[in-house]
Amino acid sequence: MTSTLRKSPLHALAVAACLAATAACADDPALAMNDLEIAHTAYTAGALDIRYAYLALAVSESAAVREFAETMIRDHSAVNAAAGRLVAELEVTPQDNLMSRKLVAGAADKRAEMMALTGQAFDCAYATNELAYHRLVNGTVADRFIPAVTVAPLRDLLEEALVTFRAHEAHAGHMVAALGCNG
Amino acid sequence: MPTRRDMMRGLGASLALAAAARAHDGPHEHEVRIARFAFLPARIVIRAGDSVTWTNGDAAPHTATARGEGRETGQETGWDTGALAKGEAARITFDTPGEHAYLCTYHPHMTGTVTVLPRDG
Repeated sequence: MTSTLRKSPLHALAVAACLAATAACADDPALAMNDLEIAHTAYTAGALDIRYAYLALAVSESAAVREFAETMIRDHSAVNAAAGRLVAELEVTPQDNLMSRKLVAGAADKRAEMMALTGQAFDCAYATNELAYHRLVNGTVADRFIPAVTVAPLRDLLEEALVTFRAHEAHAGHMVAALGCNG
Repeated sequence: MPTRRDMMRGLGASLALAAAARAHDGPHEHEVRIARFAFLPARIVIRAGDSVTWTNGDAAPHTATARGEGRETGQETGWDTGALAKGEAARITFDTPGEHAYLCTYHPHMTGTVTVLPRDG
């Protein structure tokens, strides 16, 4: 599993997609998640996208990429702040879990890959990763996390966050097209 | 061109919804909600001297910012609510008739228009 992850930086998100899309994944006890684990993974996904964004701001000279990155920092920070307030209100502690760890590992590999790039190559790597990342995370949140959570305020937060993340996915799609990264 | 800007923080604003271009006996307050990455309503018609309040209901911050040369050149020639976090509101008063197109600078696909009719038109 680990070696596969290193070969494919988005493997962790493939796990997320698997969770969202297939009954086989949903039935795997190892991948079943409780509310606190879902909260942890959702928060982690946002935090990782913020890290991608800071890398983009450090490397990219594209105004479109930089504006997108700033939006990711602004929006994901707002959503995660709301999550932090909810956790404090409920007096619970999100639980680290397999999916969170895979997300972290996959993102580390992806950042290492992108740090070797510059110019258009970096911009396209960042843009296409943002599109893939949001697409897969959104599928997981919509099809797996929201139906599974049992605490209403957490479900409300995930639904609200999904609105934001879907806007990001659309924005990323426009960015990929505008940069000429397709194909 | 709007001449006054009044920022209101918090959820306290209780404003009547706009009835577009209705008969006016004085300045009126109008409200635009920001929800699910859209301005609601996206188009609003008011009279000169009226005010519009934008209230953000999204988790993500938004702005309502005048489009035009000012934005493209970075000049401060247009009106701008500034950043609105969830639950925050900002009011702009419009004194000059015309078509005022605007957008969210953070999410430029979010657009709207304030049409200002002459006060005694």
